[in-house]
Amino acid sequence: MNLILRPRLARLSRKCPRQFSTQAPESLETQDDWTNFQQTRSSLKTLMDSLTRYGSHQTSNWSMRNPLHKPAKDATLSALLASGAHFGHASSRMNPNFMPYAYGTRAGITLIDLDHTLPLLRRAAKLVRAITANDGQIVFIGTRPDLRPVVQKAAFRLGEQGFHVGERWLPGTLTNKWQMFGHDTVRSKRIIPDLVILLNPIQNMNAIQECALTNVPTIGIIDSNVDPRIVMYPIPANDESPRTAEIIAGVLSIAGREGIALRQAEEARMRLAVDTAWEDFPATEEAVSEFEKKEEQEDTKPLDGEESFDY
Amino acid sequence: MLRSQVFAVLRRPLFYRFVSTTRSFIPPSQLNHVGESRPRRSGVQELDAALMQEIADEVEAEEEDLDEIDEKPKPHPESPSFYTGRASYYDNLIELQNAISSTRGTLKRLHLLPLPEFARKSLIPMPTVWKTPREMTVDFETTITISRYRKVIALLNELNEYLRIATTAGYEEIADKISGIVTIFESGKKDAILTRGIRKPIELDRCGRSYTSGRRKTSTARVWMIPVKESPQEEDVDVEEVFGLPQSQSKAPAVNVSVSTILINNFPIVEYFPQPVDRERLVRPLKIAGVLGKYNIFTLVRGGGTTGQSGAIAHGIAKGIFAHEPETGTVLRKAKLLRRDPRMVERKKTGLAKARKAYTWVKR
Repeated sequence: MNLILRPRLARLSRKCPRQFSTQAPESLETQDDWTNFQQTRSSLKTLMDSLTRYGSHQTSNWSMRNPLHKPAKDATLSALLASGAHFGHASSRMNPNFMPYAYGTRAGITLIDLDHTLPLLRRAAKLVRAITANDGQIVFIGTRPDLRPVVQKAAFRLGEQGFHVGERWLPGTLTNKWQMFGHDTVRSKRIIPDLVILLNPIQNMNAIQECALTNVPTIGIIDSNVDPRIVMYPIPANDESPRTAEIIAGVLSIAGREGIALRQAEEARMRLAVDTAWEDFPATEEAVSEFEKKEEQEDTKPLDGEESFDY
Repeated sequence: MLRSQVFAVLRRPLFYRFVSTTRSFIPPSQLNHVGESRPRRSGVQELDAALMQEIADEVEAEEEDLDEIDEKPKPHPESPSFYTGRASYYDNLIELQNAISSTRGTLKRLHLLPLPEFARKSLIPMPTVWKTPREMTVDFETTITISRYRKVIALLNELNEYLRIATTAGYEEIADKISGIVTIFESGKKDAILTRGIRKPIELDRCGRSYTSGRRKTSTARVWMIPVKESPQEEDVDVEEVFGLPQSQSKAPAVNVSVSTILINNFPIVEYFPQPVDRERLVRPLKIAGVLGKYNIFTLVRGGGTTGQSGAIAHGIAKGIFAHEPETGTVLRKAKLLRRDPRMVERKKTGLAKARKAYTWVKR
């Protein structure tokens, strides 16, 4: 019996040691078998973990942060370079309007000047922060399979004010909203967003066109073969790199989250001020009627800089 | 009436809405005002009836607008997938993906993932039947095309695998949570579909008889089988002793052979099937199962000819043997005796003499 098992064991030893054991049972029948199976695995793991510190000594404690789940608040030049944000498309395809953002050519590729990218990214982040602080709606559009989780996460960070489009943008979402969403929804909800962020603008020209028609500001990642004027706030970077998109979407969504926090802090402060104010001035009937009279007078008074005409 | 409305418009400054100091600026997208903002006209235009009517309409709209300008802006859409146009589909997809990733993390921490081959073979089989694309269209409120259906099914199958692992390993809370999600997508006809094709076990009646039916070509046979009762052994008559003959040296050991009867339409087998081919075909299941003299068989057969009837009875006998002794199942199945032979007489086609036979080809 052992002679038959030995050649099989030799093959198995190439697999992860966690996956085989010299006393591996043929099959797990009872609950106890499963418990034993789990226990052997967990004990092997603890053994391995305890023995690792006796191996080679690692001097650096650096570990790469997950750009999707834990993005950085500010993008650094080194992070953008590491993600390949400076790689543009072929120089033969360069859009002449992209010239201000191009660093040069190497190996037939246009390199994007990241010294322009960083301030433009910061400007876009400031815009996002201001919009969310004023209760604005922001839509993240990234219509590739690798961009789908990025836009989902970014929208999730903005809570109620964040939206995402991970698959094809349906033409007419904004310009044909009555047919798209129905009369009840359009009358009761805000349909036109206050900002649209495009991670791959060339594939979403329909969305850009609709935003232009409905006066929605846009931010977009602009590559070297794209005219930067199609969006209001271009961010020149590589649109094909998912890591670059993660960094940029991370920066913008964190700025948005800050805006929401600012607004909530402001609201809390105002609520507190109103509550404390009412303590000093209780709402008696006289005070309320006086207040209402004042309001009426202000409404009927002519505004500054206007002459009152009598016909 | 129109005149007064026109003068009301002319009395106001052009950019009334944005000069007000009492009201804060609210962008047009957040207002309840639904009509498109009209472009301001430049230059002098003659006041004709059409233009006056337009101005009157605008005044009405603006008046309504001004009344509502102090109200709160409209609420946000609830779903973050609102702008995809298929909110509930994408939301459900995201929910499934989140459930899968969280369950995967939990099972990895419990050392149940990745599962080696021998453990995977020991998992409890949990076959499920998912809802049809039509049923899912109703649930998701969007047309479920085949590609979208495949994506959903892939996620559901993965979730089902995790359910199997959790149930087999005995983690009930995890299993309950997963099954709560999975049952939403399971078809209502799941039990009916899973039990399809499973034959009802044939029960023996109070006398120990099995009643089965068999078919072949256009014949049907009803077969009753009962085990032969071993009557008490009669003393073998020693022939040599009776006739006073000298005793033979070696006596062959007595062999007990049970004898069974086969009756077809109340005729004995030899009378009903004079040809040995048909008799062989009939008796074959008994030979293969090794129960040749064990059962008494009574059959009623109708329809068809000799081959059909003998085949039908053989089918019924095989089923009857399986009812009495389920261990013979593998042997009978290997010999394809439990299978209803689907071969039927092929129909004659137009332009041919018979089903396949063509008329003689003529050159001219």
